[in-house]
Amino acid sequence: MDIRRWWRRALILFAVLGPGFVTASAGNDVGGIATYSAAGAKFGYIVLWTLVPLTVSLIVVQEMAGRMGAVTGQGLAGLIRENFGIRLTFIAMAALFFINTGITATEFAGIAAWAQIFNLSRYIIIPLATVVVFLLVLRLSNKIVERVFVVFSLIYLSYVISGIEAKPDWGAVLHGTLVPTFSPETGFLVTVVGLIGTTISPYMQFFLQSAVVDKGSGPRDLFNVRADIVVGSILGIAIAGFMIIANAATIHQAALINHKPPLDIDSAQAVDFARALEPLAGKFAADLFAFGILNAGLFTATVLPLATAFIICEAFGLEAAVDRRWREAPFFYGLFASGIVLGAGLVLVLPADKLFQFTFYAQVMQGAVLPLELVLMLIIINRKRVMGNYVNTRTVNIIAWATAIVIGGLAIVYVAQSIFGFGS
Amino acid sequence: MTFHDGFLSEMIGRKAVVDTAGRRLAVGRIADFVVEHPNDTFPKIDALVIKSSSGKHLAPIGSIVDFESDGKLILRDVPSRVAPPDDEALYLVEDLFDKQIVDVDGRKVVRINDIEVARTGGALRVVAADIGFGGIVRRLGGGSLGRNLVDRLPRTLIAWDNVAPLHDLNPTQIQLSVSDSRLARLHPSDLAEIIGDLSARDAARVVASLDDETAADALEHLDTETQRSIIDDLGHQRAADIIEEMDSDDAADLLGDLPPEQQERLLSEMDAETAEDLRELVAYDEDTAGGLMTTDYMWIYPHRTVAATIAKIRELAPETEFIYYLYVTDETEKLLGVLSLRTLLLSAPDDLIHTVMTGDVVGVHPDVKATEVASTIARYDLMACPVLDEEGKMLGIVTVDDAIDAIIPERLKKQLPRFTKSHRHERIEHV
Repeated sequence: MDIRRWWRRALILFAVLGPGFVTASAGNDVGGIATYSAAGAKFGYIVLWTLVPLTVSLIVVQEMAGRMGAVTGQGLAGLIRENFGIRLTFIAMAALFFINTGITATEFAGIAAWAQIFNLSRYIIIPLATVVVFLLVLRLSNKIVERVFVVFSLIYLSYVISGIEAKPDWGAVLHGTLVPTFSPETGFLVTVVGLIGTTISPYMQFFLQSAVVDKGSGPRDLFNVRADIVVGSILGIAIAGFMIIANAATIHQAALINHKPPLDIDSAQAVDFARALEPLAGKFAADLFAFGILNAGLFTATVLPLATAFIICEAFGLEAAVDRRWREAPFFYGLFASGIVLGAGLVLVLPADKLFQFTFYAQVMQGAVLPLELVLMLIIINRKRVMGNYVNTRTVNIIAWATAIVIGGLAIVYVAQSIFGFGS
Repeated sequence: MTFHDGFLSEMIGRKAVVDTAGRRLAVGRIADFVVEHPNDTFPKIDALVIKSSSGKHLAPIGSIVDFESDGKLILRDVPSRVAPPDDEALYLVEDLFDKQIVDVDGRKVVRINDIEVARTGGALRVVAADIGFGGIVRRLGGGSLGRNLVDRLPRTLIAWDNVAPLHDLNPTQIQLSVSDSRLARLHPSDLAEIIGDLSARDAARVVASLDDETAADALEHLDTETQRSIIDDLGHQRAADIIEEMDSDDAADLLGDLPPEQQERLLSEMDAETAEDLRELVAYDEDTAGGLMTTDYMWIYPHRTVAATIAKIRELAPETEFIYYLYVTDETEKLLGVLSLRTLLLSAPDDLIHTVMTGDVVGVHPDVKATEVASTIARYDLMACPVLDEEGKMLGIVTVDDAIDAIIPERLKKQLPRFTKSHRHERIEHV
């Protein structure tokens, strides 16, 4: 087939895939792969059901962000600034920078894991990846970078292949998805908080809202914005489900058969997951898994520091644009560069066998922070002065508040559990 | 009253006291500043809002006895007038702090971090908006470390006469005229850049506040998505007025991207002749000569004299953008020849047009690709190229700037305004 015609067709497809799809893909980043894989490997199919309420919550939360963007024409950071003043904004932005830099580090940790799987030194690969990320953003135009990333997002479909290749017990998959089961085992609670944190990451709401604003969507485009979010969220979580299935069918089953203790998150390593796939699902699936980690790492390590710099500059009204020169937007570039350098640096400093643990607990931290973000969003979105007739309906309020309260409760129980050591 | 020049953030939260015969009675803290005539160039502060446990009260500026160096505000009497909740006046802190404004001079959308006031002409007036990092640090109250930092940072203030608030400051007065005149004096491409930075709602509001012609110029420089959302928000009557003022090729491009019903509704609001031309143009593919062409050109009959033609140009030029080539046609609009403004000016007044014109005209068919039109224009060093149908009838012209726009890759086009802008900055720095 004529390459140019193929390219044009592909472009039309990408145009349909909106911010919702890209955001959901960004949600399946290295931390996502790590958390979903660990959850599947440790607990098997029984964690699958958590994805069902998570899908509902993700759609509701993302719809709120999308609606706020379409109605106000401002990003979440701008709205927080206008509604809560500069001090709270400063605290929120400092927290966002801190967390996002941590998450950026997990992306580089994923790249390091890929290097390890193929026996490459992370001390060469990580600096190389840092240079690639800088070049992607600074040298290529927005449009091209965007398209490259959308192509990247499609590679996430490889997890579906891995999941099917692993030949799972479909009856158990269905049972695990539909019947809520709680495991008495150690680490179930923290795994659930991690699953929440990686599925509804706090940065995703900022990211989506800014993307909706950037696209110029207004209130009359709400139907499209919502459709994009619903489709993107369901696709994103379905892919997450296949990651759980792939690991439940391989590592978890193998542990059951050999009567070995299930996976220990604190000593797990990404290499284990890739190697465990190989004997059961074949070399192809294992290589795909490894390549997926690299792709997710590069994708999010580029997007996240960039988005963070944009968001903070929006909050403080500072010049922010990739097409400005360094001198014209010093804060923007300063934030962007320090986000990448700190993230990459952290991965070089941490011991290699702690990278997986670090990645996992970074997701738990995101889960713990999420309720605070939801409360801010809920206050703003219920203000008539800001949203006019587009304030939350009662149903959306109930689901969103329930999400905030349940996650907040889980986070508090988890913290209490780790301090006082009860229940586990 | 000994108010000093300074920033509002330094006054907010200071204690207000009433001094009666040496006994000081605390009445609350400074919370806000009231401006009753926000449209003045440098508006006067008319009252302070004093917040206490019993609510918010207004202290007129005249009731201030002193503002001590240690920070206490001394009032003549206890502020008693309750600040009405939906006041028409502008509350500087509540209405402006943290909000977005347009920096007309810097041509960008920024946020107000702080407001500078100064005593001039016996009144305390708003003189500038602080949009820089220093304002943020000052607001966060970083202590002596923060103060040191602020002093070192470059000050980024916008003089108040360069500030165009985005939101109607005072809904009961028609006062957008101030901000729109400030915006209207910008170059259309700069104005378009600002509009592109705004939310859909604000963008439509800014465009709505401009006169039709300025709005049309700005709209021509915007991308299709933004154009569409603005047109949707304007309402079709006003949208039609503005589209009518746009260059016909840009207008046709915009209309061509709208759904058929909306297109028809807009066309029906325009005058019949313009609507007719636009209908023809919309039918062409955007990437062809027909899609690029404008119907706005100068044409003359061959038997006219040079003098009469110059007189006609004088009469029509204000309405026509491209006057550098004159196209000579017969009664059936068939193209006979062309002559440049230069040839015309250098010819004797009594010469007849058909004796000075060039009969050998390069033209293109409306279905010819944009890139081909551009290379024709480049090959023959033209400023415009006529578009002709099969019988040689004149349909319109493609000007060199539209041809360039059509062939320059999207990426480069995005960077182009940047080049021009940095040139301007450098020029200013040299001065």
